[in-house]
Amino acid sequence: MRSFIALLVAGFALSGVPGAQAYHRFWAGCNYDAPTFMTTMTRDAAQDYANAARYEGYQWGGGCWNYDDVDSYPNDPPQVAGTHGEGGDCSGLTFKTWRESTDTWRDGRYYWHALRNVHGPYDAAAFRDGTGAPNHTVAKATAGVMDAFASATHIGMVFVRSLYGGDQIVEAKCEACGTNIFYRTYRGDSAYGGVGRWGWTG
Amino acid sequence: MRRPVLRSLVGGAAGIAIGVLGGMGLTSVSAAGPTSVEASPMLVDATHVPPVLTLRGEPVRLRFGLVCTPRDDGLPCEGSGTVFVRRGQDGPFRPFALRRGDESKDGRYYLDVPPDIAESQVGFSYYAVLKDDETGASVSVPSGGADAPQVSVPLHDPVAVPLGAHAFGAVREPDAHAVDAPWGSGGGDVGLKGSPDLGYTGPSSFDVEPDGTVDLLDSVNERVVRWLHGRHEQVLLGAGSAELADFAAEPNGNFDVLDLHDTLRRYRADGTQEWAQKLADRTWAKLDRGAAVLQEPSEEWMPVAGPATPLTRTQQRRAAQPAKQLANGHGLLVDRVGDGELRVAELRGGGQIRSWRITSETPLGEVQLAESHGNGIVVVTRVYTDGRDEFVVLVLGGRGLVQRFSVASGSWTETAPLARFRFARGVLYRLRTTQSGASVDRFDLEVPQ
Repeated sequence: MRSFIALLVAGFALSGVPGAQAYHRFWAGCNYDAPTFMTTMTRDAAQDYANAARYEGYQWGGGCWNYDDVDSYPNDPPQVAGTHGEGGDCSGLTFKTWRESTDTWRDGRYYWHALRNVHGPYDAAAFRDGTGAPNHTVAKATAGVMDAFASATHIGMVFVRSLYGGDQIVEAKCEACGTNIFYRTYRGDSAYGGVGRWGWTG
Repeated sequence: MRRPVLRSLVGGAAGIAIGVLGGMGLTSVSAAGPTSVEASPMLVDATHVPPVLTLRGEPVRLRFGLVCTPRDDGLPCEGSGTVFVRRGQDGPFRPFALRRGDESKDGRYYLDVPPDIAESQVGFSYYAVLKDDETGASVSVPSGGADAPQVSVPLHDPVAVPLGAHAFGAVREPDAHAVDAPWGSGGGDVGLKGSPDLGYTGPSSFDVEPDGTVDLLDSVNERVVRWLHGRHEQVLLGAGSAELADFAAEPNGNFDVLDLHDTLRRYRADGTQEWAQKLADRTWAKLDRGAAVLQEPSEEWMPVAGPATPLTRTQQRRAAQPAKQLANGHGLLVDRVGDGELRVAELRGGGQIRSWRITSETPLGEVQLAESHGNGIVVVTRVYTDGRDEFVVLVLGGRGLVQRFSVASGSWTETAPLARFRFARGVLYRLRTTQSGASVDRFDLEVPQ
C-alpha cells in the first residue's frame, strides 16, 4: 500500500509535465461531430481556414488540430497513423479545406471544424488523379488560388502565385516541416499534376 | 537488500498508472471548455502579386487578398483597405480605397490605378493597408509600408526575346562534373532520407566560392561538404535543422542557412553558430549572398543582417528593396507574367538601363536564377507542360539573345525551391540528384559583349 501511495503521487506529478498536458489537452478536444452542410464555399474563406492551421503540426493520416500555433505533439514517428499527433497530413488538410464529404460520390460542401478528427478518403495520388465527385484535374498553367498540385506522395494548395513564377503553397509537408505556407515550384515540376475542387462560389 | 515482493510491485504499478491517468483526467476537465482549445487567435494577413514590370499603355489593376481568422459560418471575412500610391519613388502618397469584388481567385480586393499614375514614364510606388472589419486587425503589404514600398515600372523599349514552342528532349550535357557524391554518411558522401511513400530529401542547396570550392548543404548529415580539386572536407553544423533549407557561402568563409521555420542562421567557417534571426515576413523564396532574402508576401529582397549583426524584423522591413542586387552593382527586377511571359529590367541608380520581354508558347515556370554576366544577364527558368519540364538557360545581351540551351530538370530528391542553380566565376552550376547520388555540374557560357 505504501508503494501504491508513493507512486500514485509520482503519477500525478508525471501527468503535470507540460508536454504531456499540452498533448492531452489537445487530443481531449478532438471530436467526431457531424460536419455542417454549406451552400457556399469561397476561395478566400478556404485560405482563411488553411492559414489558421499553420504551425499546428503534421500527423500522418491525421486531421485534427486546434488554433494555438503550437504542434502539441511534435516529433511523432513518420508514417505511423493513430499516434494522436496534432495536424493533418497533406491530403487531410486538403480534404478539410475543400469541405469534402467522406463519401466519395457526394460533391456537396461540408464544413469540418478544426478539432473534428477526419482525414477523408483520399491520399495524394487519388487527388492527383481527380478521384471523387468533388475533385477534378486542371491544367497546371491555369491553377489559381486554392487549386492544388499533387504528386504520388504529396499535395499542396496554391495560397497565391508569386512574382518569380513559383507559388506560395499552404501544405502539411512533413513531421519536421509541420503545416505552413512555403514557396514551392510544384507548378513546373512534372512529378506534380494540377487538381481542382468543383463548386467554388466566389 | 530485500527483494520486492510481487504485491508491492503490483501496488506500485497500479499507483503510477492511476496517478498518471487521474492527473491527466483532471487536467482535461479543467482545460476542455468549448473555447479554450479551439479559440482562434486574431489572424490577419494579405496576398498580392505586384505588377513590377508593365508595358506602356497597359491598364494596371492591383489585386489583394485578405486572410483572416476563419469564421464559424464558413464565409470569408468582411474587409476593407486603402492603397497609397505615388508617381515615381518620391513625394507624398495618395490614398485610394480598395473595392471588394465577387471573386477571390485573383484577390477579392482591387484598385484600378488611375491612368495619370499608371501611365507615368517613371512608374509608381505603392503600399496597401488591409483591415478585417470585424476584428479591426490590419496588415500592410509590403510589410515595410511607406518606408519600403513596392514599385511598378514600365519597360522602356524592351528587347523582344520570342522563344516559340519549346522542343523537349534536346538537352545539353554538362561540360564537367564539379562534384560526384554517392549517397551515404561517409566523408565524401551526401545523405539521403525518405521513403517511396514520403518522397526523398537529400542535399537541399549549394553554393560556389570565388576560388571554385563547391559547398553542398548535406542537410541529412547536418553538415556542409566542401569540394575543391577533387578533395573534400566536411564542416559539421552546430545547431539548427537544414532540411529543405537554402544556403549561401559568404566571402569571409562563413555560411548562411535559411531554414523551413523562417530562421536565418549564420555559421562561422568551423560550423559554430554565430547568430540566428527570424525573417520579417511569413515565408521566403530565395537566399542570396550578403544575407539578402526574397521574402513573401512583400515580394521584396530584405537584408537580414548588417556587416556584423543581424537586423531586427522591423529593420529588415524598412530596408527592403523590390530589385535584386547584382554582382555588377546594378539592380534587377523580374516579373513572371501570365502563362508564358517573363519581363526583366536592369536598373542603375533607380533608372532603367535596359530590359527584355521574353515570351514563350510553352508555359514558363519559376525563375531559378537571374545574375549579371559580362555585359548582360543570365536567366534560368523552367518550361513545362502538364507532363514534361526542362530548364532553359538564356544569356541576354543588349541586342537580344546571346545564347540559349536546355538543361534536364529531373531530380531524385527535393531541394530548396530556387536552389538548383548557382552562377560563379562566369560559369553556371547545377545541382542534380539521381538514385545513386548527387552531382554538381558545370556549364560554360558565352559572354555577352
